Amino acid sequence: MTAADPVESGSVLLRCEHLTVRRGKRDVVSDVSAELRAGEIVALLGPNGAGKSTLLDALAGALPAAEGRIERRGRVAVALQSPDLARRTVFANMTLALAWWGVPRPERSERAREALRAIGAEHLARRRAATLSGGERRRVHLARAIAVAPDVLLLDEPFAGLDAEVRANLLEDALSAMRSSDRATLVVVHDRAEAWALADRLLILIDGRLVAAGPPRELLERPPSTVVARFLGFDGSLEDGHELLLTRPAHVVLDPAGPLEARVTRAVALEDGVRLELELEHGRLYVVSPLPAPRPGDSVHVRIDGGARFPLADSPRPPHPAPRVPLTRREA
Amino acid sequence: MRLLWSELRAAVPMILHGNPTLFSVIGFTLQVAVVATVVATIIGVPIGLAIGLGRFRGRQVLRVLANASLALPPVLVGAFLFVLFLPQAPLGSLQLIWTKRVVFVGQTILALPFIVALTAAAVQGLPPGLLAQARLLGAGRIQVSTLALREARIGVMAAVIAALGTALSEVAAVAILGGNIYGYNQTLASATLYEVNGGYYADALAIAIVLTVLILILMCGLAVLQHQGNGIRLRFRSAT
Repeated sequence: MTAADPVESGSVLLRCEHLTVRRGKRDVVSDVSAELRAGEIVALLGPNGAGKSTLLDALAGALPAAEGRIERRGRVAVALQSPDLARRTVFANMTLALAWWGVPRPERSERAREALRAIGAEHLARRRAATLSGGERRRVHLARAIAVAPDVLLLDEPFAGLDAEVRANLLEDALSAMRSSDRATLVVVHDRAEAWALADRLLILIDGRLVAAGPPRELLERPPSTVVARFLGFDGSLEDGHELLLTRPAHVVLDPAGPLEARVTRAVALEDGVRLELELEHGRLYVVSPLPAPRPGDSVHVRIDGGARFPLADSPRPPHPAPRVPLTRREA
Repeated sequence: MRLLWSELRAAVPMILHGNPTLFSVIGFTLQVAVVATVVATIIGVPIGLAIGLGRFRGRQVLRVLANASLALPPVLVGAFLFVLFLPQAPLGSLQLIWTKRVVFVGQTILALPFIVALTAAAVQGLPPGLLAQARLLGAGRIQVSTLALREARIGVMAAVIAALGTALSEVAAVAILGGNIYGYNQTLASATLYEVNGGYYADALAIAIVLTVLILILMCGLAVLQHQGNGIRLRFRSAT
């Protein structure tokens, strides 16, 4: 692949095959194969220490691949997690980045203004970097990466450390600014909500291995393994015959006519209700109940609408054989 | 106390009425200090940047050497250079001993570690993401170095101030290398030593007063330059 080829929407701009990256003697990323296509936004999701930033560094060329190979088409720009700006005005920071990227001087001002406008930071142009708030710094940091108009844009936790309101606003602005038919964007995110809001496709990295890839809705409806399901918030589990049913709180409904009897073992207050931990004969479920909610020690009936089933052979062995229990209708 | 007072009373007119020898010493001192600081800055800043930013082997050793040389006694440097410049020594052919030029060389060598060590420290103190981000956005080595120098300018100015201070006030190396020859290659500091040794206390005090005032003026000027960036920031803060 060469940079001179015109970029068509959907064409592969970055591909890694069996990529392994080492830090010291440890394999931080192991045998990862993935590709980024023009026009799509992909979220790289994983718990702390999963190797997300290391993978990003390797894809950017900042870290060597110990094994496997990486193919890049066009230029790759990276926005690191830390939004460090030079002690200049925001506008000067923008034009400086464009100069590093090799943009001719006459184009820099217009491109800087355009990127700031796209991310909703035009009003910050004359401010000095030292006077910006955390959210404003992140906004400018993102604008700088977008301004250079790379073929592949890699963003390392661009919304980290922001409060909910600032993050929601920035997410909204960033989504429209990042979307481009001739650019592939990979965003490392720590928070699932950010991934749902941004991504066309998710890559889930756990312990340095790519354990799932696909559209968010698809992964949420059919997680490929119990590990992925647990990571995606399937925290409830119930043995059902030779299967293990994993549920998210949204799959569990408190229903006096429900077929399953449970006891409330814990209640944690949330903004919009109470998160209840329910103990059943063959498992434990979680549900978010509106107020007034049952209290610990109360008996409740529940039904289950949805969830993901896995053969018990793929899961840790249960301590005792579980009978098949009807989950969605009450026993006669 | 009475002696000090009477010597001071004799020293002040010497300054006010413009003693020609005193003025020639002031001129030579300024010349040496400025040239030594400028040359040390030109040589030392790139070395400091290389130590602070580079990823080469032996970088840690260089940093330790630079830091250690800050504590080198000037008399030791003077003695070492003197032996090196003796007629039968490797650099004897340069014929520098007891000349004006050797004072410039000695002061430059003494100022150099300050520039190297403090520049490296200032650059290493920058947020690590700043320079890494610049590299990832395509900045080349020169662009990254320029950015680092600009961002660490307060620290680099501190290095220049320290080097200038050394070049103005150092005595031992100048006396050993130049011979502290009256009216020829004396700096204010070495001239003070000369006058005290000769028992001319009023002259020594006059020179010491001039040296003190000169150091204060130069340091104030550099301090203003050093904090200029902060002043601009404060104005913006008050405007928002």
